[in-house]
Amino acid sequence: MLNIEKTIDASELTITLAGRLDTTTAPELEKQLNAALDGITALTFDMAALEYISSAGLRVLLSAQKIMNRQGKMKVLHVNETILEIFEVTGFTDILTIE
Amino acid sequence: MRIIRGIKIGGLQQKIFVLMLIFIIALIGVYAMVTVHQQKNLASVVQEANVEQQAAITAVSEETMKTVLEMSMSRSTALQAYIANDLFSDVRTDVLTMQAFAEELFAHAELFSPHPFSPPLAENDGVPSVYVLHEPDVDPQDSELLKLTANMSEILLARFTASSKLSGCFVGTADGNLLVVNNRSGVCLSPDGSPLTLDVRHRPWYWQAVDAGELTFTGIEIDSYTGIATLECAAPVYHEGELVAVVGADIFLTSISEYIQDTASEGSFLCVINEDGHVIFSPQRTGVFKAELTDQALDLRAIGNKELARFVTLALRERTPLTCIEIEGTEYYLTGAPMETLGWAVISVVDKEITNQPATMMLSQYEKINSEARSAYQSGAKQSERTIVLSTVAILVLACASALFVADRVVKPLERMTMRINALSGSGQAFEMEDAYRTNDEIEILAESFASLSKRTRDYITQITEITAEKERIGTELALATRIQADMLPNIFPAFPERPDFDVYATMTPAKEVGGDFYDFFLIDETHLGLVIADVSGKGIPAALFMMVSKILVQNYAMTGRSPAQVLEAVNKQICANNREQMFVTVWFGILDTLTGKITAANAGHEYPAVMQGGGGFELLKDKHGLVIGAMEGLKYTEYELTLKPGSKLFLYTDGVPEATNAQNELFGKERMLNTLNEEPQASTDALLRRVREAVDDFVFDAERFDDLTMLCLQYNGPMQQA
Repeated sequence: MLNIEKTIDASELTITLAGRLDTTTAPELEKQLNAALDGITALTFDMAALEYISSAGLRVLLSAQKIMNRQGKMKVLHVNETILEIFEVTGFTDILTIE
Repeated sequence: MRIIRGIKIGGLQQKIFVLMLIFIIALIGVYAMVTVHQQKNLASVVQEANVEQQAAITAVSEETMKTVLEMSMSRSTALQAYIANDLFSDVRTDVLTMQAFAEELFAHAELFSPHPFSPPLAENDGVPSVYVLHEPDVDPQDSELLKLTANMSEILLARFTASSKLSGCFVGTADGNLLVVNNRSGVCLSPDGSPLTLDVRHRPWYWQAVDAGELTFTGIEIDSYTGIATLECAAPVYHEGELVAVVGADIFLTSISEYIQDTASEGSFLCVINEDGHVIFSPQRTGVFKAELTDQALDLRAIGNKELARFVTLALRERTPLTCIEIEGTEYYLTGAPMETLGWAVISVVDKEITNQPATMMLSQYEKINSEARSAYQSGAKQSERTIVLSTVAILVLACASALFVADRVVKPLERMTMRINALSGSGQAFEMEDAYRTNDEIEILAESFASLSKRTRDYITQITEITAEKERIGTELALATRIQADMLPNIFPAFPERPDFDVYATMTPAKEVGGDFYDFFLIDETHLGLVIADVSGKGIPAALFMMVSKILVQNYAMTGRSPAQVLEAVNKQICANNREQMFVTVWFGILDTLTGKITAANAGHEYPAVMQGGGGFELLKDKHGLVIGAMEGLKYTEYELTLKPGSKLFLYTDGVPEATNAQNELFGKERMLNTLNEEPQASTDALLRRVREAVDDFVFDAERFDDLTMLCLQYNGPMQQA
């Protein structure tokens, strides 16, 4: 299960993810992102409570990154070891701004 | 709801039935109470009226009777007294006439010669005749007085013949002879034919008249010869102040006695009272009003009944009004009137009981009519009672029938509906509206709701069926796709039986549906073996299609002799050109030089390979990673080299292995994977893969497996011996 929490401050959107971002939960995040990203110039993912991310989840992050490449910037916060390993393995560390 | 012998207890039908029954019974109860009350009321009214009417009848009748009686009785009593008085007053007149005649006779004796006379003769008995009787020691032939008196013979005879009332008339001389006229000469004869003698001057009429010195009536005397009650009237005759004779007449009281006797009708009679208050004529045989001529006769004024005494005293003097007196326990109506000649009185007596008779009769008649009416009424009432009972039963039966009918009307459609609904089976059938449910009430609405629900359900079932069919079709197609996908991968092992220098074995165990993992190996030329393992993001048909494209692209570019990095870059360029869906694929691609064991590889975001060199264990090779293919255009990948000594193994896998999850949400992990591999690193390639799969299956146990499980294992045996 995935818990998605959104905080909007003007054009800055922070999305706090908790749980598992996988094949079953990724479509929901994608839907919410598509609806929320208009006019956003700074997107932040807080992954402190994210336990797992699958390739489907990576795909959503990739889409978001591509959109934000056009209209602003995107960063990923509080990435734990498991997630970071996945980012490293898949080469996402090259395209994501991980802080 | 129970069913006993086909009757539903507690069913709607029974409830309606009971409801109607209660209503009807209550109605009948009220009706019955009102009827009974009215009947009782009517009966009591009739009873009261009856009593009142009876009292009124009694009073009116008594009053009327009294009035009638007063008028008729006092009048008739007066009449009777008058008639009786008349009788005696005629006699009185006769006697006064004879007295006057006798006085004239004696006053002018010189004008008359002696008149012949005779004793009573037997032949004259029964016819009026004149004869002479005398005292025993008197000789009529010597009597000058008699000879003169005999001149009255014709006059006496004429007088007697003319009067019907006289039973005889006579002249007694002062010397003891008696000149008699009557029709009973026979009675004065002794059996031997000689005349009987008579103490003339000792007869009561004689001395009473002499004593009185004027006309007098004797009391009632018993006739010397006949023994018949007789009343005699006599008057003395004087000549020159000297008594010469007494003239008289006698009346047999037979007629008056008989008359009085005849007046006795039921409860009423006449009686005659003399101046002494004695009852002298009466039809009564007993009691106060019994006639008594003897010395024992009672004076009615002295028997201790004051009212009677007062009445009798009044009656002897004047006409009395109707008086009611109780005598010896019986009430009588009495009227009285005096008989002035004699100083007697006639009293009319009526038993009051008799006067009540008309009232009694009327009452009994009334009672009879009443009782007839009552019995008619009662029989009518009984009839109406029967009618009421019958009509009540009829109403009950009708009500029961109509209650059943109504209940049936309500329940029948429901039962029919229930039956129809129970009979529904199969998806094609639906509950249909029928005329039986067109009741214009809630039942119709219910039926319509059922029909619409049923229609919706049927439509839904049809839809579900279609969807299910569609799903099945898709499932079938997916299964087919999975098969096609699996068939696309080299799956005949040993794959290169003619190549002893290496051995490659691979498996792909899809999760529930078609996925995006794939492995591949192919000889680029005689000494170069291409190895691919890849994982497409996502699942299902899109992933499968993407995987196909990726697999073909990788192999195609590899066959052109490009280096691994060049192959991945070319594939990435190709895929990014048409990747609106943001799909990507992680690919590890390596080329083995079968002569040297050197592997040149590039990694586009894929898991670290595990390498077992010589007799050691498997270790992860943390190679240089590039970004997944499809993520960005124009990516550059770096290559690295790795040389396998003969007997070494390379183990490639997708994330389905380390990320296999058990029910406790624990990951299988690379640690367990390596441990499993290192239990017997020398085992054959297929045995190793089997071990890993079994270990993963054991770990996951009954939790659902989400990801494909794809593994590839290469063993390098050293270059082939040149033949």
